[in-house]
Formats: sequence, C-alpha cells, structure tokens
Amino acid sequence: MTLKIPETIDGSLNRRGFLLGSSVVTVGFLAGCGGSSSSTTSTTPTSPSLTDTDYLNFALNLEYLEAEFYLRAATGTGLGAADTGNSTSKTTGGAQVAGVTTLQSDYINEIAQNELDHVRFLRAALASSAVAAPAIDLTNSFNALAMAAGLGSTFDPFTSYANFLIGAFIFEDVGVTAYHGAAKLLTNKTNLTAAAEIHAVEAYHAASIRSQIVLAGSALIATANAVEGVRSTLGGGNETTLSATGIVAANATTSIGFERTTDQVLHIVYGTGNGAGVKGGTFFPSGLNGNISVTNS
Amino acid sequence: MPTQETQQLDDVIASSRRRLLAMGGVALGSVVFSKFASAQSATLTDADYLNFALNLEYLEANFYTLAASGQTIDQMGISLTGTGTQGTVTVKSGGPTACQVPFANTLVQSYATEIAMEERNHVTFLRGALGSAAVAQPAIDLVNSFNGLATLLAGLNLSSFDPFASDINFLLGSYIFEDVGVTAYTGAAPELTSSTNLDAAAGIQGVEAYHAGLVRTVIFGLDQAATTLGPPGTASAVATAISKLRATVDGSNSISSTRAQGDDIGLGTQSVALNGTSDFTASTLVNATTTGSINAAGSTGTAGSLVFARTAAQVLAIVYAGGTGMGGFFPAGLNGNVK
Repeated sequence: MTLKIPETIDGSLNRRGFLLGSSVVTVGFLAGCGGSSSSTTSTTPTSPSLTDTDYLNFALNLEYLEAEFYLRAATGTGLGAADTGNSTSKTTGGAQVAGVTTLQSDYINEIAQNELDHVRFLRAALASSAVAAPAIDLTNSFNALAMAAGLGSTFDPFTSYANFLIGAFIFEDVGVTAYHGAAKLLTNKTNLTAAAEIHAVEAYHAASIRSQIVLAGSALIATANAVEGVRSTLGGGNETTLSATGIVAANATTSIGFERTTDQVLHIVYGTGNGAGVKGGTFFPSGLNGNISVTNS
Repeated sequence: MPTQETQQLDDVIASSRRRLLAMGGVALGSVVFSKFASAQSATLTDADYLNFALNLEYLEANFYTLAASGQTIDQMGISLTGTGTQGTVTVKSGGPTACQVPFANTLVQSYATEIAMEERNHVTFLRGALGSAAVAQPAIDLVNSFNGLATLLAGLNLSSFDPFASDINFLLGSYIFEDVGVTAYTGAAPELTSSTNLDAAAGIQGVEAYHAGLVRTVIFGLDQAATTLGPPGTASAVATAISKLRATVDGSNSISSTRAQGDDIGLGTQSVALNGTSDFTASTLVNATTTGSINAAGSTGTAGSLVFARTAAQVLAIVYAGGTGMGGFFPAGLNGNVK
C-alpha cells in the first residue's frame, strides 16, 4: 500500500482542480466525498434520437479506457495502432504493475485479455462506424480522483497490486452500470445480446476485484469505499458499500444490479458533478469520441 | 499444459456422455431440443420467461438459505404458492438444520449469507412482478441431485457429493448454479418484449455474474493451497469437470469442433495473446469466450470475451441433469410453460 494520508490543504485545492471542466458544480459533490452509498433516482435519459451505433461507440470509449489500463498494468504497453484507429497512441501514463505474484499476474492478464477482446469485438461490430480511441489520461486522473476521495495528493495504481485493485475497482462497477443502462435502449436484438454478454463479463470482473479487496482487509476496503463515495456522488448513487457481506453492487431491496444513464457515466469518467454541458475531464481530458460525449444534465 | 488439459477434458466429456447414455438419456441433447422447439412454437410470453427464471431462483434461494441459515425459504417467510404444483425441498436426512454448512472460513460464511439474501430478494421481486401469474415453488431436490451429478463427473470417481459439508463443497455447489444463472438470463434477455422486464432481467443477470465471479475467485484462491478436498488444484479440477458436464449435457460441446469446451469454461489457466505476444498465462475466473481468431490484432471473429447465452432448453437439460421434462434438481419438473 502506497496510498498517502489525506493532505487537507492540498486536498481542498486539488479537489477544485478535479472539478475543472464542469460547468456546474453541485453542492452534493463536495459534501458527499465521504462515501454515501445509497441509490438514487436516475437523471433524465439522453436524447431518444440516439442509435445503437451511438451506444456501442459510447461503450467502445469505455472499453478503450479499460483496455489501456489493464494492458499497461499487464505488459507496460497499451493498445496498438490496429486496435485504436490512431497512428500513434493518445494515452498517457500507466506501467506494468510491480512486484506481483504469478497468481496476481494471471488475474491481471485475464482481465487485460477480456478488455482487449471487447475493444476488438466492438470495433469489428461497428466496422467503419467505430470511433477512434480518444485521449486517455492514466496519471492525472487517478491523482485527481484520490484527492476527491480524500486519499492524498497522488495515487498511482501501477505501483503495487493493492493499488492496482483500487484502480480496477474504479472502472468495473461503472462498466456494469453503463452496460445495464444501455441494454434497454438498444433496438437490435443482436446488439442487445452482445451488450448483455459484455455486461456480465464486467460483473464477473467487478466481483473478482471486490472480493480480492475484501480479502486484503479493512485498510484496502476503506480506500475502496472512499473512492466509491466519489463515484456515488458523481454517478447518481447506484453503489453498495463494499464489505464482506457487500460484494455485489445491487439494490438493497430487490437485489437487482444498478444501472446508470450515459450522463451519469460521463460524470464519473469526466470527474465532474451533475450538470449539462460537461465535455471532458479526468480519464478523458478531451472527451469521448462519438455522439455521446457531452452531458445533457 | 493446455494440451494435456484439453485431452483430459475431452476424456471427461466422452466419458460423461457415455455415462449419461448409460443412464438412459439417449441422445439427450437432440431430444430436449426438439421437445422444446415444439413448445416454443406456441409463442412464449414475458411472463413465461419470468416464471422460468422464478423456478431457478427458488432453487438458488433454497440452496443458499439452507447453507447459510439451515432453513428453507418458506421458513424465512417467503410464500411458495402460485400456479402449477407446489412441491417441497428434499434436504439432508437431519432436516433443514443439518444443511447449515459448518463454515471454517468466516469470509465464505459472509458470502453465503449475502448470496442467500440476494437470491431470496430475486424470488420476492419476481413473485411481485408476476403477481397472480407467479408459479408455485416446484419440488426441489438438493440431495439426490448433487449425488447424481457427482457420479457423472468422470475421472473423479465420486459416488456422492454433499455441498453442505464444508466451505469448499459449498462453493462448488454454488459453482454449479451461478454460471448457469448467468447464461439463462443472458439467453432470455433478447426474448423479452417489455423494456421494464428486460431492464430487470439484465439487472438480475448482472447480480448472478457478480455471484459467479465471486464464487470462482474464491474457489481458485482457496485452491492454491490444500483444501478439505485434497491438494492444491483439486477443487479447480472438480469445477472444471462440472463445466465440462454442463457443456456436454446442453449439447454445446458438439456444436463446434474448434471449441471443444462448448459454452462453459472451467477453472484454471489459459494462454492469451496481449500486444502481439502470445505466451501470457491468465486465469479463467470469467466464464467467457477468450480464445479464437479475434485475439489477433485488427482481426474479427466470434470470441470477444463474451459470456455465453443458453436457450431455455439448454438450461433445462442442465438443471434436469440430462433428464427430459424432469430430474436432477427438479424431480417433478419446473412449473410454468417453460419446462
């Protein structure tokens, strides 16, 4: 564990930095960084004129992010040109995770393979409509998120397996809620089936990561829940506090998994609070590519 | 290692199939498929699919609640009434309390408690969504079913299996259900016509995948050291045999000669290609397609790290343990129009 103790002064300054790019800053964000985890109602859905292609491209952006994160964690190198549509990589940061055991390496490699496959699957399905990988930041993003979570001024998920688990934790539950939210919006049954099949893979990942964090003990659980608090604030709730009896993220009454609107997902990956007109930030400093890239609410 | 494993799996499959045939499940794949194909022609509704799911949730909820608390779900206040024939749960000879797992690992106990609650919530949710159309709990067998399945796990020489006997046995019992739940909901999702129902089904599918991911991660982790079942690797071998049996019973392993594993991946390691290098070793915590032509950069293919989808007929073949219309976990069959 190399997480730093919260630094109050820097934290408050940088917390503002985390919000740069947001046209609207909600009070709830600043007040809610501690870790609220209840579910809330959904925000208004995105424009109904969006097509399956738009939603699949939205997913592709998220898969680019995940693939870059896990491939770099596994091998030190991210997606190649043939998998991004870019002649040179637009991703910054990331490195092979240091000091991992063979078993831990096997775990990282598996998820890297899965996310790489998802990129390839979606690019193949979208064919000439596929968006290229947008700019992705794997350095400043985690630092900003750590500050928002009160975890210190910097956070590098590539320096240890414990930190890697926290980095992975940030993505997986979000991926689950994004695919769940998109499922009912898809009009083509083939696309729906594919989305459902990827949705479940993300849930397998999320459970594996969450259970490994629980196994690591109370310190790492607390770190994860601090991050979860930020996610909850940015993403409209839809979180279950991680614990030995809270591995699954789902509605407490029905035990149905959470879902998020595209706006809620964008707010999380852009690291900005509620409000229309947010165009990018944090993990995607220049925003997503495709027709779903600016928040409507 | 992969080659050796593949050969071993092939042997398991062939042997399992022989034993299934010996048990009287003649050409069970095609029989079940054709039987269901005719049923399917009488258009199934969303309620039929939700009731199909409800039957599976009754099974899961009872299994986990017995394991965690030594009670059946009706003892926890859940109503079992509805259309069809209501049945009871066959439990160990000592009754429900004898089914409470003597957990040695408090984390595993916590997982059992959580999953039990979530599966009960699924029962309650589906019963509420279906209202008066909800099916009654069918007869469920949690003793002879596991014993029968154990004998079908070729190469392991098991004559019986008690999923309530220990931590690792409980996890392997869970393994039998969770991946199947995922594939069942995945297969049903595109069949649903109501957006609300689809949304709920996707949400439950995700939770089943969380469960499956949890169970597979914990088994694989514990199995790195000796368990009560044997030396490291023993539990994973049992899990892999279960996967092979499922893929055999549902007929998927014969669909493609290039994918002998069919629609079910066991626990172990695989060789994957990352960044053009093909010798990375990876775990198989996710039950999904991870081998195929799509693993080459810029190529297209049918793999893509997607979970598998099963038809209702394939799911029935598994929960009936190869039987037609009934058997295995449901000795009198499911209630509802999908059975």
